[in-house]
Amino acid sequence: MPTSVRIPVQLRTLTGGQEVITGTGGSVLEIIEDIDRQYPGLKDRICESEGKVRRFVNIFLNEEDIRFLENLQTAVTEKDELSIIPAIAGG
Amino acid sequence: MSDLPPRYSRQVLFAEIGTAGQKRLLGSRVVIVGCGALGTVQAEALTRAGIGRLRLIDRDFIEESNLQRQTLFTEEDVREGLPKAVAARRRLQAINASVAVEDRVEDLNYRNAESLVEGADCILDGTDNFEARFLLNDLSQKRRIPWIYGAAVGSQGLTMTIVPGRTPCLRCVFESPPPPGTTPTCDTAGVLAPAVNLVASLQVAEALKILSGRLERINRSLVSLDVWQNTWRRLEIQSGLAGGDCPACHLGRYDFLEGERESSTAILCGRDSVQINQPSGQPLDFPQLGHRLELLGSVSYNRFLLRFRLKEFEIAVFPDGRGIVKGTRDPQEARSLYSRYIGN
Ligand SMILES: [Zn+2]
Repeated sequence: MPTSVRIPVQLRTLTGGQEVITGTGGSVLEIIEDIDRQYPGLKDRICESEGKVRRFVNIFLNEEDIRFLENLQTAVTEKDELSIIPAIAGG
Repeated sequence: MSDLPPRYSRQVLFAEIGTAGQKRLLGSRVVIVGCGALGTVQAEALTRAGIGRLRLIDRDFIEESNLQRQTLFTEEDVREGLPKAVAARRRLQAINASVAVEDRVEDLNYRNAESLVEGADCILDGTDNFEARFLLNDLSQKRRIPWIYGAAVGSQGLTMTIVPGRTPCLRCVFESPPPPGTTPTCDTAGVLAPAVNLVASLQVAEALKILSGRLERINRSLVSLDVWQNTWRRLEIQSGLAGGDCPACHLGRYDFLEGERESSTAILCGRDSVQINQPSGQPLDFPQLGHRLELLGSVSYNRFLLRFRLKEFEIAVFPDGRGIVKGTRDPQEARSLYSRYIGN
């Protein structure tokens, strides 16, 4: 069973409006690559060209910021949930 | 119970605030930056709660489309064409005359930021853009003043409490702002009043904890909520506190206070407008400018601002030369309209 990934409003145009999608892989990076195969363009919106996470985007594994874990190399299991949380303005 | 005014009795009865906490509140100084949906909710709640002094900073004036969510304003304020900070101060003084409320019709930028927050015990984020928020973050770290980040768009909200030395800062979580035009704004995605009210209320609760001396109670997570998708998440960020390489709170570099990142134009959230930052050496002469512009389009002014309408555009200028060009989101078009009619 693949891992669930929560997609923010900003990126839902790429997922046909879906808020939760699934990806397969053993690390955060592998999952991002897998969801990018299913919904082309997602990786580019999440990662810079050198493969780092964009500086105004955060990825949380369950409730933890992956930057304080092993970043994109953080191991992921099927029980985990990834959330992509970009900064928002407005107010 | 105490010598405190009865109007605060229900808050004093709340044990963790009590008489001592209320006294601290009454002596506290708060700065609210931005007087839109977030800022009006914050300002009203803190004024009712009985803080000592409140400084409201806002660069904009009231329009009809604000009334759906900006709770301090009325139709009469729209007709009068008042700056938001001025109308808010009037209303707040009617709500609680014992709070010293000061309005500042200004754009917070790296030049005036430090003096505008001087002496504050807490800063609340009521802004509508990333530039101001990253500036506030630098300011908070440099001057060691807690600030409470809050933002909302559509049905979503995000908030985080930043206490220098005790919590990670905004740049620990979001290192830099996204490029302009890549994220939804109130212009493109709209915004629901309950989403902003919820975020603003959480910010007020955090401010009450800080101002009444209950720092141990602050929320140490990044809270992400969506009132339409029915999600509410607390994301852990505490591990960012120690040993990181955050430019602001670990390395002490205040990039946004240096001013290099500032642009002279800014697209305003929810307004189909562009702000032009053009400090004029001396105050603009509204009667004279109005007389000149009358020949070209319709003009109205009060002592706070002059508005000039021409076809689908409207240019509003403040006495200090700052302008808001409505009817476009293109900074270059706005800049050229400003130069043509107001001057360089
Ligand atoms: Zn930091």
